Amino acid sequence: MAGIADKMASNQKQIAISEFFEKNKHFLGFDTLQRSIITAVKEGVDNALDACEEARILPDIRVKINKIDSKKDIIELITEDNGPGIPQKSIEKVFGQLLFGSRFHAIRQSRGQQGIGITGVVMYSQLTTGKPTHILSKVASDATAVSVNIGLDTRKNKAIKSDQDRIIWENDDHTFKEHGVRVTSRMKAKYQRGRQSVFQYLRMTSIVNPHADIIFTDPDGEVHHWPRVTERLPGKVDAIKPHPHGIELGQLQRMCKESKDSRMTVFLRSNFSGVSMRAAKELCEASELAVTAKPKSLKPDQIRALLESFQGERMINNKAIKLLSPPTNCLSPIEEMLIKKGLSKTIDSKFIATMTRAPNVSHGNPFQVEVGLIFGEGMAADKPVEILRFANRVPLMYQQGGCLLTKAVESVDWRQYGLDQPGGRGVPKGPAAVLVHLASTNVQFTSEAKEALSDNEIVFEETRKAMLEMGRGLRKHLEKKKKMAKTREKFELINDILPAIAAKSASILNRPVPALAGSITKIMSAVICEEETVWNTETKLTDVEIILFNYTSRARSYSLLVNWPEKEGAEITANERGGRKEAMGIWAWKIETLDPGEQARVTYSLSGLEKGDWNETEVFFRGNQDVIGATKLDEKMLEEIRRQEEILGDSEIPAGEEEMNGFEPGVVEGQPGQTTLFGGEQ
Amino acid sequence: MMSRVNDPELTKQRLHEVVEEMYDRIVKGEPPTMTLPVRTKNNIGFDKKFGVFKYGKKRSTRDATSLGSAKNLLRALHVVEFIEEMIEAGKSSTLREMYYISESWGLGKFSSQNESNNLAEDLEVVTTCLREDFKLRPEEDGSRIIGNVTLNELNRRGQWMRINARDDVGDSGYGVPYNVESEKIELVEHDIKFLMAIETGGMFDRLIENGFDEAYDCALIHLKGQPARSTRRIMKRMNEEWDVPVVVFLDGDPWSFRIFASIAYGAIKTAHISEYLATPSASYLGITSDDIIAYDLPSDDLSKKDIEALNAELSDPRFADGWWQNQINMMLEIGKKAEQQSLAKYGLDFVTDTYLPEKLGEMGLV
Repeated sequence: MAGIADKMASNQKQIAISEFFEKNKHFLGFDTLQRSIITAVKEGVDNALDACEEARILPDIRVKINKIDSKKDIIELITEDNGPGIPQKSIEKVFGQLLFGSRFHAIRQSRGQQGIGITGVVMYSQLTTGKPTHILSKVASDATAVSVNIGLDTRKNKAIKSDQDRIIWENDDHTFKEHGVRVTSRMKAKYQRGRQSVFQYLRMTSIVNPHADIIFTDPDGEVHHWPRVTERLPGKVDAIKPHPHGIELGQLQRMCKESKDSRMTVFLRSNFSGVSMRAAKELCEASELAVTAKPKSLKPDQIRALLESFQGERMINNKAIKLLSPPTNCLSPIEEMLIKKGLSKTIDSKFIATMTRAPNVSHGNPFQVEVGLIFGEGMAADKPVEILRFANRVPLMYQQGGCLLTKAVESVDWRQYGLDQPGGRGVPKGPAAVLVHLASTNVQFTSEAKEALSDNEIVFEETRKAMLEMGRGLRKHLEKKKKMAKTREKFELINDILPAIAAKSASILNRPVPALAGSITKIMSAVICEEETVWNTETKLTDVEIILFNYTSRARSYSLLVNWPEKEGAEITANERGGRKEAMGIWAWKIETLDPGEQARVTYSLSGLEKGDWNETEVFFRGNQDVIGATKLDEKMLEEIRRQEEILGDSEIPAGEEEMNGFEPGVVEGQPGQTTLFGGEQ
Repeated sequence: MMSRVNDPELTKQRLHEVVEEMYDRIVKGEPPTMTLPVRTKNNIGFDKKFGVFKYGKKRSTRDATSLGSAKNLLRALHVVEFIEEMIEAGKSSTLREMYYISESWGLGKFSSQNESNNLAEDLEVVTTCLREDFKLRPEEDGSRIIGNVTLNELNRRGQWMRINARDDVGDSGYGVPYNVESEKIELVEHDIKFLMAIETGGMFDRLIENGFDEAYDCALIHLKGQPARSTRRIMKRMNEEWDVPVVVFLDGDPWSFRIFASIAYGAIKTAHISEYLATPSASYLGITSDDIIAYDLPSDDLSKKDIEALNAELSDPRFADGWWQNQINMMLEIGKKAEQQSLAKYGLDFVTDTYLPEKLGEMGLV
């Protein structure tokens, strides 16, 4: 497969590349002066993030735009990273050749599926200003950095190097730069603000790349900083082999032609994912091929027959051939905790709900949907909510209305979850922002512009389900907030107002101040639970305090249960009451007897978390009398958590070994009730 | 004739009863409460003794089980304490001053002046005292009177001043003070056949300019919309002490009907003191629903709110008699309302030369 890129590149060499660029600049992202600059920043930043991720480096990304000639709209763009750097001999290829790059033919989730890469920026600069792009690159093993100007010979699709030198690269603070790349180009472009701007692109990028530190200096010299909020790099993703359901005829023909395998079963087993030995034999049988046939010598009809078997059109005993689903470790979701951090970094608000669905498969392509919702005061209450769309961690900024992800948001009746939505359809209104991220090995766009995802029923349903689940979280939060406000009022009543009434009436009548206990019980006539989850800056722990007040006239007994981020690696400490683990992420304490007027207190701390990771603890109870401020435990929910836990425990077996049942061609049903990452059901 | 005893000790005792109710409930281990009559049209009934509408037996209990009503009880206690202090110091304050004074009451502070006004009314209702007993004055001033009536008013220097509301006043007439009780105002003498209450300032001025008061031997009083307590009280006193008829000349719309009801039968909000304020013998001169048709007056369509108000009036016990039911139904039927000043359609003098003489003639007053 390594030859495909070269082949494609050499095919394209025939036409003048500048002509090709000129003709196709709309889908290369250089159609307007406003968009060109965003595309240029995007190519640079995507490269930097991908390079850092591969080299397992926490990225520090600097972007600077300088005005050079305002009348002619000439600007200078500088992007700099702390990635591994590019070796001197590769620089020409990386910056001077279309379609170069290790990721082009690998099947895995990567940012760089979009655009033609940084070469486009070099070309655009050259076409609009005649200037070469300056590259400064240093790898850790070299003492000096290479400084070189790159231009393009558009006829030969080759780089023209000039002024090459090796220099010492110093940071602003005069320390030596260890590794990284700086790209400086001059181009015709217009900087603008608003929803479609470099600023918005970087802001969105920082949300889905919480491990990156991004500083942007705009043309007015204003500096915007999105700090790193986690030290955790995105999980390393493995490349996977193509799955029979996702293959096209041309690709299959090429694979057969290039195969050196001696027999079909070996070819099918070693070049595709999801093909067991039995399936390989069945595929041959259905395609009327001998298992010993040599792939290289297959005739066009035979290849077509094989494809038909892949797609379930050729069957055995009227059944499509069972294939395993592709492995999903090629996906890198952001994960819920980091979505929370990313959102709260750029939007100042109290409530965030997130949802990462378990991976699913559509047409042989693994994908995973993640959504986040931030709600609260910081945002306008009467405007449509902001929809932040991402594909493989790349912000989508144009064509919002035509995008599958937007359609999924619009398909939800948000009114039942506490947002305004005239008619129950369309983008809801309210002080909220919705994030939607699709991670996939094969993102399908509506057009070459690669700004809107095309319709896909399975992805749509996954996204919609994620929205619904998240909406339920929002509704719960709003209900809880209302209840809490009521409870607070009651406490103000008995703690402040009632004593004042007693004291004032006693003083007017010149009588002793009466005792309040009886009145308090009558006024409250309830068991009340107060919960407080706060970050302790001194101990760097999250402190949780739960107080249960019995304001009824009888003694009560309860089990109190709380949720806590066990999956995310938190641990419970300083838990003096002890209690026991009830299920994954659920801890329980027994409150034996709580006499009228008495209170019981549960305190503990959570270690292994950072500030802002855990702001609200949900309290559940088992017992007869209702508790204000806590939710009666749904035993079914507990069973579900336990079930998930078992599945998680079982998933030590490598994914992909289980046979799938009820498989229909092109459609893989997700397990119902997936609520965890990598549920492993597939 | 009504008379009222201004007894500070009685006022204090009544206020203490309110406080005792709260205190005793706490001692019993119950939430403190304040019990007061329901103040809606569903709880007003005709009082045969006074010939006015008063609150019935329905009681509502405000108890401290919600934050809002608990705060209200605490405010009531602060107000009681404040009133006692004023009674003892011989001072008085406006309702607005009390609202500002409440700034220092901590948890018992008012959040709007409406709240303090309502609470003063609540206390009146519960104690059957008047806010004058509480040393609380309204912000609103009374209205204006023009006509040959003579009053004695105790001025700021403590001297009685004799004022004739025709000869001793300018064009704006005699200004009615907020307190028109006998310790402040004495009705001395008059030479009028009737007292005419007028809703709008424009019509009041028209009648004065046309010399209507002298031509027809009457006094004119300007209501300024929904009349203040002192306006209703002075009309009541003239009616009772001088035995002069009261006629009421208003716009022809549902809101004017309500104004008339509050003058003649008692207002729902002040039904606890209807016997002090209402003039049961007052009669409605116009604009009536049939006037709109009979005089072919320029009119406006009834709004949705107008229609709602008329329908509410149909079930209001104060409008239960046949004449009113007729008027209200007729207005609903024609779907029109008319202003007093629409009479100007026939010229500036039409109201004084034609309309009023005809209407007063029907009533036997000219």
